[in-house]
Amino acid sequence: MARYGMVFDLKRCIGCNACVVACKQENALPEGVFFTRTLSEEYGVYPAVNRVYIPTLCNHCEDAPCEKVCPSGATYTRPDGIVMVNPETCIGCGSCAVACPYDQRSEMKAESFKDGLFGTGELTPFEQQGYPRYTPGMVTKCDFCSGRVDAGLDPACVVTCPTEARIFGDLDDPESKPSQLIRERNGRPPLPEKNTRPKVYYID
Amino acid sequence: MAINDLPIVGDSFALGYRFQRYWDTPMANAFFFGELGAGLFFVSLLLGSAQGMLAGLLITGLLKTYFHLSHMGVPKRSWRAIMRPDRSWVSRGLLGIVGLMGFGGATVLIAWTGILAPDSLLVLLLKLAAGAAALVVMTYQGLAMSHSTAIAFWNTGLMPVASLAYAMTGGVMLLLAAVPESAQSLLPVALLLHLCIAAILLSMLHAARHGSPGARKSAELLTRTTYAKWFLVLVCGAGVLLPVLLLWLAGSVPTVALTAAAGTLAGYYTFRLLVFKAGVYEPIMSFRP
Repeated sequence: MARYGMVFDLKRCIGCNACVVACKQENALPEGVFFTRTLSEEYGVYPAVNRVYIPTLCNHCEDAPCEKVCPSGATYTRPDGIVMVNPETCIGCGSCAVACPYDQRSEMKAESFKDGLFGTGELTPFEQQGYPRYTPGMVTKCDFCSGRVDAGLDPACVVTCPTEARIFGDLDDPESKPSQLIRERNGRPPLPEKNTRPKVYYID
Repeated sequence: MAINDLPIVGDSFALGYRFQRYWDTPMANAFFFGELGAGLFFVSLLLGSAQGMLAGLLITGLLKTYFHLSHMGVPKRSWRAIMRPDRSWVSRGLLGIVGLMGFGGATVLIAWTGILAPDSLLVLLLKLAAGAAALVVMTYQGLAMSHSTAIAFWNTGLMPVASLAYAMTGGVMLLLAAVPESAQSLLPVALLLHLCIAAILLSMLHAARHGSPGARKSAELLTRTTYAKWFLVLVCGAGVLLPVLLLWLAGSVPTVALTAAAGTLAGYYTFRLLVFKAGVYEPIMSFRP
């Protein structure tokens, strides 16, 4: 069984946010909800100033704090390591949101589903086909596009990235691209001091 | 740039500290009324006041439940919160509330109707079970918060201690204000509990100021920047200093006890609200790219 993870190459990310748009489109996300973000940070002193872009998404932690605190059991980990949320059993209490050190949980506000993208109370055809996968009021997150992964495809953000800054694959396979990159370029997980054992790594 | 120099960035696409925004006012209300009701029930149970126990059950059963349901994203499924007592403090707390309502309600009913002798074994067992359930309700919210490594300010063993101390103090002060005759026995306890709260607040701020970057940011918000005036005036001033002074000088005077109780509750509620509002996530990168 594979153990999926992702590597972000900070040297390659140009901050175009194509991944963010692809994610919103793939997952039919309401206004204000993002499963992935590209954060920007400037550093240095003029004239030696630089800007780095830092992509973020759910880290699908091995020791996921969101799963531990979920009182309804709606958050669970698949055998391939993808941390999922069951829309049928999530109660929207937000325990997972305050447990995730990476702030990667999103509340699906019931109003968003009623008002629609344009706030007119009418859903566009795009929303009509996308929203039934969520329960209004639930708290959810990135699932590495599990439907695409099950079909043998890469997540939408990965295939969209024009600079190939996002690399997805099996971390248990030493020959996979992410495993090689982590090994050769000293991949580092975000906030390792939180002891969540993320399956997302950064290389620079 | 060092992690300490990063700003609070709200919901923007920038690197920095982010406020937790999932648990807000309705959750603070639920925490406040849950602990207050359980505290009042527990103190009334110890003093044998059936009216106090009933008031405590009503506060927890009605107000806590109402505010929890108004917070829930999918309220009609709230019963599912009881599914994982093996790992979630929310589940354990819900079991505690159910136990408090059941055992506590039976205790009040027996005390009121007198259908069983007060010193019978069954009544004693019911009281023990109700008291244990009240203790769970008084502390589980602090335990749920202290388990969050995401919000460094909450991630301290002092959080459940603060919950317990505030719940007991709230219960004692409500009884003191409602039953002036109890002043003789409750005054020293009330003073001691306020001093405990002062020590807990100081310890929490000290731990936060010398803790991880997120905890330091929260301590800064509470004592020096955004929420400082509310924290210092209401939580410390009205919630601790004022009641201690009033109780010490003239605690047996009913109007003074009432004013002291109002101050305590105002400070307690503000504490509950500000702990949520000052909770921040740390920047996702703790190393420089």
